Amino acid sequence: MDNNKFKENSVFILSILITLIFIIWGVFFTENLTNVTDAVYNGSIDYLGWVYIGATLFFVIFSIYLLFSKYGNIRLGRKNDKPDFNTGSWLAMLFGAGMGIGIVYWSVAEPITHYTAPPYGNGYTIDAANTAMKYTFFHWGLHPWAVYTVIGLALAFFQYNKRLPAAISSAFYPILGDRIHGPIGKTIDILSIFATVFGIATSLGLGAMQITAGMHDIFGIPNTLFIQLLVILIATVLFIISINTGLERGIKYLSNAAIILSIAIMVLILLVGPALTVIKVFFNTIGLYISDFLHMSLRLNPFSEGEWIATWTLFYWAWWIAWAPFVGMFIARVSKGRTVKEFVIGVLIVPTLGTCLWMSVFGGSALELVQSTGNRDLANYIAENVSLSIFTFFNYLPLSSFLGILGFAVVAIYYITVADTATFVLGMLSEGGTLNPSNKIKMTWGIIQSAVAAVLLLAGGLNVLQTASILAALPFAFIMIIMCYSLQKGLKNELELQRGIRKRE
Amino acid sequence: MKLFQVRKGQFVYYNNELHKVYAIKPMYKLSVHLIKLRDLTQHITNAASVERYIPKENDSFIFDHKVYTLSKNQKPVAGNLILINNPSPDTLDHYSLNEIEVVETVDNKGVVTSDLNGIKHTEYLLMIPGRAPDSHPIDYKNMVNVEEDIGGDYPQTIQPYSELSVQLGDIFKKRNSDVLFEAMVVAMKGQTIYLGGGHEVPYEELMDTEKWEFQYNPFNH
Repeated sequence: MDNNKFKENSVFILSILITLIFIIWGVFFTENLTNVTDAVYNGSIDYLGWVYIGATLFFVIFSIYLLFSKYGNIRLGRKNDKPDFNTGSWLAMLFGAGMGIGIVYWSVAEPITHYTAPPYGNGYTIDAANTAMKYTFFHWGLHPWAVYTVIGLALAFFQYNKRLPAAISSAFYPILGDRIHGPIGKTIDILSIFATVFGIATSLGLGAMQITAGMHDIFGIPNTLFIQLLVILIATVLFIISINTGLERGIKYLSNAAIILSIAIMVLILLVGPALTVIKVFFNTIGLYISDFLHMSLRLNPFSEGEWIATWTLFYWAWWIAWAPFVGMFIARVSKGRTVKEFVIGVLIVPTLGTCLWMSVFGGSALELVQSTGNRDLANYIAENVSLSIFTFFNYLPLSSFLGILGFAVVAIYYITVADTATFVLGMLSEGGTLNPSNKIKMTWGIIQSAVAAVLLLAGGLNVLQTASILAALPFAFIMIIMCYSLQKGLKNELELQRGIRKRE
Repeated sequence: MKLFQVRKGQFVYYNNELHKVYAIKPMYKLSVHLIKLRDLTQHITNAASVERYIPKENDSFIFDHKVYTLSKNQKPVAGNLILINNPSPDTLDHYSLNEIEVVETVDNKGVVTSDLNGIKHTEYLLMIPGRAPDSHPIDYKNMVNVEEDIGGDYPQTIQPYSELSVQLGDIFKKRNSDVLFEAMVVAMKGQTIYLGGGHEVPYEELMDTEKWEFQYNPFNH
């Protein structure tokens, strides 16, 4: 009896155990954890860089191949399934899910940091400003969305067309067959959960840092580690209440509100900020991005220190991959009834343009601010206080306190919606892809993911968050590469089935 | 003016008959869009001319030409219809008040519908085909002046096979088949269902969701 129970829940138990070991390590041997993550971080520069670089570029190529392939007209779902959401709100939801906290956190900080310390050339110059925008587009453009396209499409296809459970292992059905329910499938699910927990913890960690920074800016509350941990604690209590009281509908309204607020902030900044510069930055950087796409995608600096690439490019690639099961599950759930072609355009192309626009508005305005006034001190201040960056930037705009409160609200709402949705996704993944995960399991994951975020902050903040993502995402990167092959096989099979019936008619 | 907020999904009486609100368009004079449950025809009106009804256990009504009784205690099986009267969707589910969905799988915690929503057992009432003898018919607000033979204008409701959950024109897909096999129900005789292409299938086999999967009916919209 007990043995059977273990078999049923083995994915949940094993993934909880692995994560718990990590948490205990972080709480009691904090220094050791920091040392090990440092070592991994340095190792990642030399040994793992090419894996991430190669894999993400491959996902971009594979997604574009799917867009133009003969599979483009396959519908996700039954032939007569209609999309659940109209195209406008579908795109808005994809955008919100894919970027969320990160886009608010980094939109000012990243271009300014690149401007002060560009990947090549001298800082604080006009060239540096252009390179900064180019690399921001690169990190937030096609690559992350290609990662989401691959995993979202695989999950949606095997869930809706092959009627398999909503688990990552289902995407391997064409290769593994019924072994997806056996040890191999379970290993895949455990690895995906492990990556997801760290991806989410990274976001929650960044979110907590930024909420604290926001409170510091608006209310003058001290910006300390203790307050950050307190933010995580309060948020955890809040979403555990929401899980248990059926406030989930409220979460839905909140997440819509966050998307509307983000767009409102963007439009507001465009109106009160240097709109013309923003438009110029948008077009100019799109050009630079397209023409240098391959160079940036494969840039590894073999004959010198790859520090810059590790802190930025590799961190982002790993973070997107660690995020992927979570975002993929969300994207799959809202994309039923779309064709493969619609899906790729909607998940790869449109959000890429959206993020580029967002980055042009925030990054372009911020760069204009520091470049036109030659205000090096301001640039350095932003680069050194990343979590405060967006509030510092708002202070130089008209309506600054209003913008500050809006920005704070967006981050806070994103934080709570991400944390809540994450508990649901983790519940699904750890219960074999059931669409009815139990509240107990959801609550357990809620507490665990907050604990991981807290441990990572305790162990050293941003650097440790980045390193943990790079570490946790690595096995999942390999899983995703095989997933592409499996997806292609599944789509081919579906097309043959559909053509078979046409021939007989 | 009635101080009554009409919301999407609510059951309401309009012209004495049971309807469901499927959309609210606040900008228009005729802001309440209804669907008549009996025959799924669309109607449009304003909030003042509808009256709310909250469906409960043991109510019976006609939905899409077939009679159903709402039950709380009976366990659903695959293929049953459910009325989601108490929705509390998880973050990634898409269903709302009083949606009627088809059960695909059942487990201890809840059911999964053919639209792939996970619905807990407390959130729905099962729609059992047929009018239970002690049930409370809710098709009309006022039973006076309603002709006894409610099937008069709607010959489908008194069709001999209306208790079967198969309709002419339903398209089914064979599961676990190497080639795609889809066929339409072209005739029904007793418990035998005739599919296009000259296939005969017993009713029980067609209802077995392991073997056949309902796709759609091109004649129902």
